[in-house]
Amino acid sequence: MRAATTGFGAGPARWRPRRRCRWPALLTGVASVTAGLAGLAVVAFLVAGTASGGLDWWRLVTSPTWDPASGAFGAAAMIFGTLAVSAVALTLATPLGWAAAVAVSEVVAPSRRRVVRGGIELLAAVPSIVYGLIGVALVRPLVSDLTGAPGGDSLLTAGLVLAVMVLPTVVAVSVDALRAVPAGLRETAATLGLNRREVIASAVVPAARPGMRAAALLGLARALGETIAVFLVIGRADGRLPSPAGALAALTRPGQSLTTKLGGPEPVLAGTSGAHWAALNALGLLLLVSVAVLTVVALGRRREGAAHGRRLRARVPLASRFRAGRDRLSTLAHLGALAVPLAVMAGLVLAVATRGSAAFDPQFWLVAASGADEGGVRDQIVGSLVLVGGAAVIATPIGLGLGLLLSEYAGPRASRALRTATVTLGGVPSILLGLAGYRLLSTGLGWGKSWLAGSVVLAAVVVPVAALATAARLDALDPARRESALALGLQRGQLTRSVLIPQAGPGLVTGVLLGLARAAGETAPLLFTATVFSGAPVIPHGVVDAPVASLPTHLFALSQDAVQAGALRQAWGSALVLLVIAGLLLAAAAPARRRVEAVT
Amino acid sequence: MSTGRRAPAPSAPPGPLVTAPRPAPAVEVHDLAVHCRTRRLVGPLSFSAESGRTLGMHGSSGSGKSTVLRSLVGLLPDGLRVAGRLRVLGRDPCSRAGLPELRARAVLVGQTPVVFPGSVLDNALFGLRHSVRATRPALQARAEAALVEAGLWDEVADRLDQPARTLSVGQRQRLCLARALALDPLLLLLDEPTSALDVAARDAVEGAIAGVRGKRSVVLVSHDGRQLDRLCDELVDLGASTGPSGAVERHQDR
Repeated sequence: MRAATTGFGAGPARWRPRRRCRWPALLTGVASVTAGLAGLAVVAFLVAGTASGGLDWWRLVTSPTWDPASGAFGAAAMIFGTLAVSAVALTLATPLGWAAAVAVSEVVAPSRRRVVRGGIELLAAVPSIVYGLIGVALVRPLVSDLTGAPGGDSLLTAGLVLAVMVLPTVVAVSVDALRAVPAGLRETAATLGLNRREVIASAVVPAARPGMRAAALLGLARALGETIAVFLVIGRADGRLPSPAGALAALTRPGQSLTTKLGGPEPVLAGTSGAHWAALNALGLLLLVSVAVLTVVALGRRREGAAHGRRLRARVPLASRFRAGRDRLSTLAHLGALAVPLAVMAGLVLAVATRGSAAFDPQFWLVAASGADEGGVRDQIVGSLVLVGGAAVIATPIGLGLGLLLSEYAGPRASRALRTATVTLGGVPSILLGLAGYRLLSTGLGWGKSWLAGSVVLAAVVVPVAALATAARLDALDPARRESALALGLQRGQLTRSVLIPQAGPGLVTGVLLGLARAAGETAPLLFTATVFSGAPVIPHGVVDAPVASLPTHLFALSQDAVQAGALRQAWGSALVLLVIAGLLLAAAAPARRRVEAVT
Repeated sequence: MSTGRRAPAPSAPPGPLVTAPRPAPAVEVHDLAVHCRTRRLVGPLSFSAESGRTLGMHGSSGSGKSTVLRSLVGLLPDGLRVAGRLRVLGRDPCSRAGLPELRARAVLVGQTPVVFPGSVLDNALFGLRHSVRATRPALQARAEAALVEAGLWDEVADRLDQPARTLSVGQRQRLCLARALALDPLLLLLDEPTSALDVAARDAVEGAIAGVRGKRSVVLVSHDGRQLDRLCDELVDLGASTGPSGAVERHQDR
C-alpha cells in the first residue's frame, strides 16, 4: 500500500501551489450589491416620487378628500380604511391564531404535528387572488345577507377575508416561538404536579410570549400590505371618513385603503411626476414605513424573547375541584381554535375544486382563452411559468449569495442589521414592488410591459425567503465541523464551497421553492409591469414591450367581471389551476425540507 | 514582555529555523497568554516541542489545554486575544497570512469526531483534495495509505464508499486521524482524542497514535496522566486550573 504512494506522499517538496477559490466571495459580493441596490431602489423611487411634486403632508393625513381633478390629495379616509380592515382582521386572527398555535405545539401528538403544520402552511401559500375570488363569490353575499350592505362590498368583508389570510402567519410564527421553549421547562413544570393547562399557562406561554406578540405584529404587517384580495371586496369608495361615533357602523359600508388606491388605475394615469404622482408615492411611503417599523419591532421582540424570555410568571394554580375540568375545557378550546384554520383550508380546497370543475377538462389546460368566458388558460399557464422560471433563475444565485453574507461573511452586528433589512424587504407590500418595477423598468428603462420586468419584480419576492432559509441552514452548521475543516487547512473560499454550500443546499432549495409558490400567486406586482389580459404571444419575443398573460392577473381581471356566470366559471377554473401549481411547488420543497428538519 | 531576561535564547529569525544545528523545534512558545478582554484565561506559559517527538500536555479541566492547542493554529474563537511569541513549524500562527497552509502542515484533531457528509473515502480525501493538486488516483492512494497509518484500513477497506456516519465512534475518530494524516503533516495536534470514547475505542485510537510516534511531531493533550505516560516522550504540565474553571467554554457559549 505504502509502496504505491511513496512518489506522492514524500513530503512538502511535492506540494504544489493551489488555486485560490474565489468565486464564493465574488458571488456573495455581487449578490449582496444587487440585493442592496434593489432594496435602495424601492425606497429611492418612493422618496423621489414623493419629492417630485409639491406635497402637503398635513393635508394628506388629515383631509378625507381625494380628487385628482381638483388637485385635492387627502388620504385620511384611506388611512382609516387600512386601519379598520387591519383591526377587524387582527381582532379575529390573533386570539384564534394563538390558541391554534398552542394546540399545534402542546396538544397535538408530535406524530401529527407535521401534517397539521403543513396544512397551515398550505393556507399561507394560497395565492391572495384566490382569497379574493372566495371573498367576491362567497363572503360578499354572506355579508350582504347579514348586514344588508348592498352588494356586500365593505370594510367588514375585506377584514374577514384578511383575517383568514393573516391567520397562518400568526399561527406559524407563534408555533415557532412555542417550539423554541426548552423542553426542560415543560418537564420541570410537569414534575411539580401541574396539569397540561397549567403547564401551558404558567410555564410555556410566558416563555413564548415575546415571540407570540411578534407573530401578531407580523400578521399586522401582512394585513397592511395586502392589496389584491382587499381590492376586490372593499368597494373602493373614496372619501368615506366617518365620525368617531360612526366608525363601527362604517364597517358595513364600502371604503378604500392605501393599497387598493395604489392597486387601482391611478398610478398609470398619474404620469411620472407632479402632484398626483407625488401623492400616490406618499401613500406608498406611508405603507412602507409602517410595515418596516412593525417588522423591526417584531424582530426585536422575538430576539428579546430568545434572550430574556425565560421569566416565569408566578401564578399559583388554585387547587380547586374544577382543576381537571378546566384542564379538559382548555384542551377542547385549543383544539377548537385549531379546527378553524384547518376547516377553512378544507372548505377552501373544496370550494375551489367543486366550482373550478372547468379545470378538470384537459382542454382547459391546453387551449387558449377566447374572450372572457370561453376557451382555456394555456397562454396564462405558459406565461406564469415564464415569469416564475425567470424569477427562479434570477433569485437563486442572489438568494445564495445573500444567505452566505448574512450567515458567514458579515460580522455579527452587520449580520443582525442585514437580517432585519432582509425580513423587511420580504414584508414590503408587493404592490410597492410592482410600482417600483413599473417606474424603474417599464418607464425608466423603456421596457414597457415586459416578462423580464415581471420576473425581476417576482425575484424580489423570492430572494428574501431564499436568503433567510439559506442563512438559517448555515447557522445550524455544527461549529465543530467548520473547525475541523479549517484545521485541515481549508481557505475561506474552499470552506464555503465544500462545507457551507453543501450545508446550505436544502435550505436554498426550500427557500426558492417556497418563494416561488408565493411568487406564482402574486398579482399586484405584475399588473403594471408584465401582463396583459389578452393579445400577448404565448412565448414573448425579446424584452422590450414583450408582455405575457399570467394566471393571477387573468384571475384578477375575471374576478372584477364576477357578475357574468361564464367569467366566474373561468375564474374558478383558473383558481384551481393556480392552486395546483402553487401546491406542486410546495410539494417539491417537501423532500428538501424533510432533510433540513432531519439533520438539524 | 520578559524576552530581555531570556538572553541565552537566540532571538528567532523571521523565516524557518533552518540554520540551527539541531532540527528546529516543531513548536516554540514563549510567554503565551490568552486574554478575554482584560481577563487572563491562560498562561503565561512557555514550552517547546522537538521535531519528531511526542509532547504530552497535561492539566486538569479548565486549565486551558484546548485553548493553547487552538492558539497554535489560529483557531481561537473571536474575542480571545493571544499574547506572547509563538512559532509553529517556524511560522507565527497569530498572523492571518498563510494560515490555511500552516494548518495543512500542523493539523489539529479535536476531541469529538466530526465526519463530513459523504463516504468514508470522501472524508479521508477531504483535506487532501483542497490542499494538493494531483490526479484523483494519486489522491486516493494517499488517502488509503493514511487509513492504513491510522489503523483503520482493515475495518473499512470493503466499505470505502459507504456513508462515514455508519462508522462507530472509535472508527470515526480514527477516520479523523486518517484525514489529518492524509495531508502528510509535519505536526499533529491531538486535543483529548480519546476522552469521548469507550475503553475499546480508546485502545484502538491509542494504537493509531502509537503508530505515528517517532515519524511525526505530535502534541497530545490529555487529562489522563497514564495515557500520556504510555504515549509521550516528554511532558508539560499546565498545572491546576489557572483561570476560573471552564472560562473558555463559557466565553464560547456567549
